[in-house]
Amino acid sequence: MGLLALGTALDWPDAQKRAQQVREWGIKQLLEIWNKAKHKERDAMLWGDEVEYIVVRYSEAAPSVLLSLRQADILSALAADEELSAKGGGVPDLQDVKVQNANPLPVFHPEFGRFMLEATPGKPWGSNVKELLDVESDMKTRRKIAKEHMESEEYPLTLTTFPRLGVPGVFTDPYYPPSGSKLRSQFVPDEIANPHIRFPTLAANIRWRRGRKVQVNVPIFHDEKTPNPWKDPTVNYDLHNWPEDDDVRNGAAPDNFIHMDAMAFGMGSCCLQITLQAKNILEGRKMYDQLSPLGPILLALTAATPIYKGFLADTDVRWNQISRAVDDRTPEELGEKPLKENQRHIPKSRYASNSTYISTDPRLRPEYFDPNLVIDESIKAELIMGGMDDLLATHFAHLFIRDPIVIFNEDLEQLDLSKTDHFENLQSTNWQHMRFKPPPAGSDIGWRVEFRPMEIQITDFENAAFSVFMVLISRAILSFDLNFYIPIAKVDENMETAHARDAVLGEKFYFRKNPFPNRAPRSAAASNTNSPTSSRPATPVSPVEDEYTLMTIDEVINGSKSEEHDFPGLISIVESYLDAVNVDVQTRCELSTYLDLIRKRASGELWTAAKWIRNFVAKHPAYKRNSVVDDEVTKGLVSAVINIGEREQASKGWKGLDVPDLEKFLGQFRGGCGSNGVKRTADKIN
Amino acid sequence: MTRIVLSTGNIVTGGPLIIRKPGTPRSNLELTNSLRSNFQAAQQDYAPSPVNSNGNGAHHRNGHPVNGKTRPTVDAWTATEDSVLYVPRIDWTAAGLQEDRAQYEITLKLFFLPTASVEKRTEYINEALQLVMKELRVEHIDLLIASFPGISFEGDCEWEADKINATMGNDEEEITTWAALESLYEQGKVSRLGIAEFGTEKLQRFINRVKVWPAVNQINIKDCCSVPPPLTKLAKSEGIELLTHGDCTDILPSGTLRELLGHGAHGAGILADDENAQNGLQGNLIPEWVVKYTAFVNYRGVIENKGYFAGAELVKA
Repeated sequence: MGLLALGTALDWPDAQKRAQQVREWGIKQLLEIWNKAKHKERDAMLWGDEVEYIVVRYSEAAPSVLLSLRQADILSALAADEELSAKGGGVPDLQDVKVQNANPLPVFHPEFGRFMLEATPGKPWGSNVKELLDVESDMKTRRKIAKEHMESEEYPLTLTTFPRLGVPGVFTDPYYPPSGSKLRSQFVPDEIANPHIRFPTLAANIRWRRGRKVQVNVPIFHDEKTPNPWKDPTVNYDLHNWPEDDDVRNGAAPDNFIHMDAMAFGMGSCCLQITLQAKNILEGRKMYDQLSPLGPILLALTAATPIYKGFLADTDVRWNQISRAVDDRTPEELGEKPLKENQRHIPKSRYASNSTYISTDPRLRPEYFDPNLVIDESIKAELIMGGMDDLLATHFAHLFIRDPIVIFNEDLEQLDLSKTDHFENLQSTNWQHMRFKPPPAGSDIGWRVEFRPMEIQITDFENAAFSVFMVLISRAILSFDLNFYIPIAKVDENMETAHARDAVLGEKFYFRKNPFPNRAPRSAAASNTNSPTSSRPATPVSPVEDEYTLMTIDEVINGSKSEEHDFPGLISIVESYLDAVNVDVQTRCELSTYLDLIRKRASGELWTAAKWIRNFVAKHPAYKRNSVVDDEVTKGLVSAVINIGEREQASKGWKGLDVPDLEKFLGQFRGGCGSNGVKRTADKIN
Repeated sequence: MTRIVLSTGNIVTGGPLIIRKPGTPRSNLELTNSLRSNFQAAQQDYAPSPVNSNGNGAHHRNGHPVNGKTRPTVDAWTATEDSVLYVPRIDWTAAGLQEDRAQYEITLKLFFLPTASVEKRTEYINEALQLVMKELRVEHIDLLIASFPGISFEGDCEWEADKINATMGNDEEEITTWAALESLYEQGKVSRLGIAEFGTEKLQRFINRVKVWPAVNQINIKDCCSVPPPLTKLAKSEGIELLTHGDCTDILPSGTLRELLGHGAHGAGILADDENAQNGLQGNLIPEWVVKYTAFVNYRGVIENKGYFAGAELVKA
């Protein structure tokens, strides 16, 4: 994302009128990129990670932790840091950041929430296995730099959500009253969003298009003293500022659900995203498909979101909340009313698990496709006319069923085929768990795939572990020509399953039993009599249902010993990849700590952040077994997270830290209970 | 006397063959399973077409099992060229790499087996190198690692392992063999040379005597965080990279090879059962060398080709 475009953002009624134009221009731009880049070859395996933070204001003296809304000031301070920009870091949205040295400092970006910050490495990572060791120290450097540009009582935390977002009373600094004109939320002020016109317009137009506020309902976790049925005590049924205040009177807040009503409850969540560059479009399409079934697995494994709006939820991950927080579908599209104004029923939110497979891999069977896929036939026809193949045309014709939400009037004057703004308008507001990214205009960047389901982890060690793991598994997939295909409907189901409390241990997921390619027979090219027989029967095709089975996350990650199949586990696959390449001892050693973390999280030997947070709340003296996470408990939690972070920054390990169950959460990693004094690459901070 | 060359073909897409099961220690299973699997595959691929092929193929297959049950004759799936028996026959038309040579890092690890003649190591080196170059269609190798017999780096305490290591192997033989490798280096056929399983003392003695220093020392340690500090120090000061590996040293014992080529349930059916049997080749089977090759596409971080060749000799009893 470059400099944020400025201009006159259209309100929804006007935007809606121009939606078709944006779509048409977007398709023309897409065809332009596609034609230019479809033969692009030999792009290096570069990759990047994105870490997102919430910024809190915490002090021992203050009774409550607040969200700091000083995002703009912090970013300005970062942009004004001459040393940072001299070393290639900075804020690309505010300044021209040039990568001039070999190891540039990280760069920072605004995010939807005004309490959020995103940081990425100063330049993409390369394919050298050794470089994987720089990720963790770079993440630590990012956190350090971010902190240095904050006030002393502000902290960048990698918590997915702020536990007290949207509670009655004061939870932001500065305080703003809720019920503003853009979000019309009962719970959060308009000022919760980044003030750049794009973000409030996005929120407002989603609400406007939808015809009511977004409805983010999360089941409450019923503890000993939680009433049943439980009615969200923070919902105000007597508010009459906006027509949307009727929503709750019309049943938007059902019993036993924590009710939230604004985009900020979803888009205010922090994720860990990985983008991988492919050597060409075909490899990109393959990675898109093959990483897709891993999405729900990694979502469950990174679960870190057990609290919403001051209550313990009965789910562990953020995904569906974001999905609902940006769901702009109308009642007609949702199937609640007969179609009149709108063209079609749409089964999924714009933010949802993938609906397409796009690879040219012959192993992609028609049975895997989403039977409920909705596409715009005329767009597909236009793409095919433009030379695009059916599968890819279907993919984009699916993304383009959506309306563009934020349209700048100035962009509608003339179609500029050297840009991709209209295409990106639709592409970047389709938040599926994978994103297939064409090369941006006017750059040498190649086809890329973004892996989006992972939750941000509390420590940089964990974030590095999951990033590195995804990179390694992607290399193993390509090397070993692995096949993780299962029907998209099963990936969808897995995505729902991943939400369950402690899904990582308690649930099973559909997964392919045999991920290996079939042996290719020797070429029959040789014409002598001893040439291989070409009449060998084709491998019989078994029913799709026989290809997959329900597995625990432990089986998927650590391997299965069931009688039905012997899935070797993703860790073994990654280790076999590492066995086959030249890796130095230190690199292998450090990589194995990352793999160990994942192994142990999957087996239950270590807890997910969600489980650790739940247990932290349960053991806190101020917790009353009624599902309420109040200011005092939140302060305790944030204080623990800050302490863990400070120890990590100082590479001191967790020994003596008075935080409950830390050994069950982070084990002996990174110094654990007693540092062995070994200096790791990860300990270096620039 | 018959020379035998065994090959696995490219095993990188060979599925379970290349995946080390969780908890399994290093072993030669990758090699033996890959050989066995390649033999079976060749027997299938070169199996005679179903007889009477004007009928319905599916019917015939029911009554005429071709998938492993009925073996084609040994001649059909092996080949003899220049008095070398290739098991299985190699389809050199399928050889080669997908991209320009410059994109690859090609690594060879050559295992000199304890059963083989030390004097003939130069021949083994050339034979192994030629085969890999032909298979990958390349003119030079980036890294060639020599694995000498009788050396290991094992033990719960790596300090101890390092000490024991000092007395292992045979310095004189290793240094003589190294000279042959050095000449490949000097000819530009190999860019970097390496050794495997050398502990601190052994490595120090070695570099004191050789002309071309190893660029790499491959070591196998269970807990790789505890490399003996003297070894780390020596490697660092002399610019020798310490790489990890998961191979076992005695990678192809003669019993294993005999089983692979014999008439047992999983054998290839090439060797005679005993000296009186008429069902195959006669003689003492002597495994000589094994070479593992890997073609790694640098800019993608992807392994494109990995496989093994093994050389053996069948000596009349």
